[in-house]
Amino acid sequence: MKRKFVSIILATALIGTLLTGCGGSGSDGTTTQPAEEETEASAETEATDETPAEEEAAPSEDAAAGSTEGKNLPELTTEPLTINLWDIATEGSVKDIQEGAVKRFMEDYPNITVNQVHQQNDNYKQQLIVAMSSGQAPDMYIHWGGGPMAEYYNSGFVNDITEMFNTYDHPEFIDAAVAQSSYDGKVLAIPFGGLSGCDIFYNKTIFAELGLEVPKTIEELEAICDKLIEAGYVPFSLANGSKWTGSMYYMYLVARHSGNAEFDAAYAQENGGTFTSDAFIYAGEKIQDWVKKGYFPEGVNSLSTDDGQDRALLYDNTCVMMLHGSWQTRSISDDNKEWYDANIGVFRFPEDSEAAAAGVPQNVEIGTAIGNGFSFNCWNADGSVDQAKLDACYVLATQYYNDDTYNQEQLASGTIPSIKGFETTIEDPNTKVVADVFFSASNVQLWYDQYLPASVTEVHKDCMTELFGLQKTPEEIGQAHDTAMQAAIAE
Amino acid sequence: MVSRKGDNVAQNNNKNGLARAREKSTTKAAAVFLFPALFLIAVYMIYPIIDTFTTSAYSWNGISSDKIFVGIQNWKTLFSDMTFWSSFGHNVVVMVFSILLQIPIGMLLATFLDAGGKKFNLFKVIWFLPYLMSSVAIAFLFSYALATNGGIFSSIASMIKGGKVTVDLLGRNPHALFSVIGVMAWQFTPFYMVYFIAGYGNIDTSIYEAAVIDGATRGQYLRTIAIPLLGPIFKTACTMSLIGSLKYFDMIWNMTGGGPAGGTELMATYMYKLSFQQFNMGYGSCVAAGMFLLITFIALVFQKIFVVKEDY
Repeated sequence: MKRKFVSIILATALIGTLLTGCGGSGSDGTTTQPAEEETEASAETEATDETPAEEEAAPSEDAAAGSTEGKNLPELTTEPLTINLWDIATEGSVKDIQEGAVKRFMEDYPNITVNQVHQQNDNYKQQLIVAMSSGQAPDMYIHWGGGPMAEYYNSGFVNDITEMFNTYDHPEFIDAAVAQSSYDGKVLAIPFGGLSGCDIFYNKTIFAELGLEVPKTIEELEAICDKLIEAGYVPFSLANGSKWTGSMYYMYLVARHSGNAEFDAAYAQENGGTFTSDAFIYAGEKIQDWVKKGYFPEGVNSLSTDDGQDRALLYDNTCVMMLHGSWQTRSISDDNKEWYDANIGVFRFPEDSEAAAAGVPQNVEIGTAIGNGFSFNCWNADGSVDQAKLDACYVLATQYYNDDTYNQEQLASGTIPSIKGFETTIEDPNTKVVADVFFSASNVQLWYDQYLPASVTEVHKDCMTELFGLQKTPEEIGQAHDTAMQAAIAE
Repeated sequence: MVSRKGDNVAQNNNKNGLARAREKSTTKAAAVFLFPALFLIAVYMIYPIIDTFTTSAYSWNGISSDKIFVGIQNWKTLFSDMTFWSSFGHNVVVMVFSILLQIPIGMLLATFLDAGGKKFNLFKVIWFLPYLMSSVAIAFLFSYALATNGGIFSSIASMIKGGKVTVDLLGRNPHALFSVIGVMAWQFTPFYMVYFIAGYGNIDTSIYEAAVIDGATRGQYLRTIAIPLLGPIFKTACTMSLIGSLKYFDMIWNMTGGGPAGGTELMATYMYKLSFQQFNMGYGSCVAAGMFLLITFIALVFQKIFVVKEDY
């Protein structure tokens, strides 16, 4: 009896591990194969879900009917063609919107099949590296620009589309978006994810109760924080387990204290540029001072923003403000639209009055102008460019992603397309603030953790934990950055 | 050995054709049955190990077609790489505490269940459940349970002390490493429990009957007969726990990602970061190869020590 039980349990365990084993690889397999089915299946649900959005977009869509008609675009092949496309749109409105773009494209070009594969964001970069090294790389794939895009290009997995971009029509992307899609003077990607700013979300209701005004300077911000602590609140909600969240405070304090000058110098490690220069020490000391004064929740390094633990602290009124990416407008209103409308406001990171007096520009903002870009990887077996496929990818990315329907749907879900003119059509007051801040910026600094070389990024992120955990001094953190940066430059 | 071989040869010569044909077909059958396993082992274990060592001699970003041969440069870096050695240190701490926690507790539970017999079957099932959960699920479960905001420990502490008390188990060092070790023990103890139950089950009932006839109490039987008989199983369990904790990856990766500030960085998480996040596959492979050598070495030493002890 006993043996029987044990053997049953062991057998279950074996089967269990077998199943999880299969599950791990199987889920990837299943996403790959039935992608088409999936597209169709959700296209059905889409039809019901999306009708209002489409109706909204209807007036402008008329003008764009037939999407590509009368535009200067490459002639697409009439032969059968399959495009393998990888994105990370696994759920929600993002998935519907992106599948919609692909569906419209395939309706207009029935000979072209787009095999749209939704990868899990968490291990997407790993999947991509494995696919590239084994010759299975997709023809068209999503990325975030910055260091990795350069790495993909240098390894021969990105088509240089500078000439096409200059020859053919494309949406009028804002300059910052084109800049972030380029590397070494070459256009390497088509933006489609919309821009993301970085601003302070705050609880309007609590501000009103305590008679607080939106701060213009860092001193005013600190005064507000002190008042909030007096009233029993924790001023900032921060989930620094994710590390890049704490980095936002660091980046902004550096930007307000020195514009782009000191970061650019430190990035190049030339002409005395170093991560231990004035602005970095200022930012580090300020943050540690704020930690000591209780501006951040306790256990800040163990909270994770992926699980929404920072938003949770806003919802239960523990915290009052949160410096975060502008996608939080969508996340919070997705969680609870009513609460969002009633309570959440946005203001830009306040100015450093001393630095301003010394002539440091106060409109260098943090964020990303492209959010996501598509790069193309279309080659023939002999290593030459597969122009037919590349043309099709280009048309798909510029005319179906980024078309009016797509952009209207993006706006409806709180994302501002990186295309000129869209800032005027925004209705949500918070999104409007985000857009105003973004469009009046003299320069938009891409997140450090995407802008820095990959090896430095890891050091930077770990340093952010140590900074908020008071485990290292700002000097030590600067030195760690310098060491990593010098090693990366030497490579 | 040699003489027996000689006998065989002599016998073979005397064998008739039928016996020879039979032997041939047995060899064939053995080859046919062994081939799939050998093939899979060669493709999925031996080739990757060799390839890891080869790749460790290159500077390669993991995707580019040009690999640059750098000889032992990566290995030189590895020897002076503080991150690697501190990760190794964490692995050793995890290993020591895994063996100290999982195996004694597993054994205790198994003994309890073995002594209790059928009426504790419910406990058997309940205690086994953690092992059936996937590591990723456990990672998420415990990152919520240990969270400072609404986690189990923080909530209980707040209830006892009144007001809002924060128990930060994952956000500080060295607390994070020990919290993770605790979660690992929760996950793997049931495995050793079942392992030891199986061990108890393998002891011949006649030994128990003989002991009872000789007037041994249940406690005496366990102490002096059953537990010593578990010796070999105990040794295997320790080796498994040792190897398991030296190459551990999934739960830690999902729960802390090696953080905070590298406080729970293990060799495997470090290797993953290098290979797949920092575009440094060459050096990542070197770390993997170093891991392989270290684990093999420790496991061998461990086996050696244990065998000597058993001889006494």
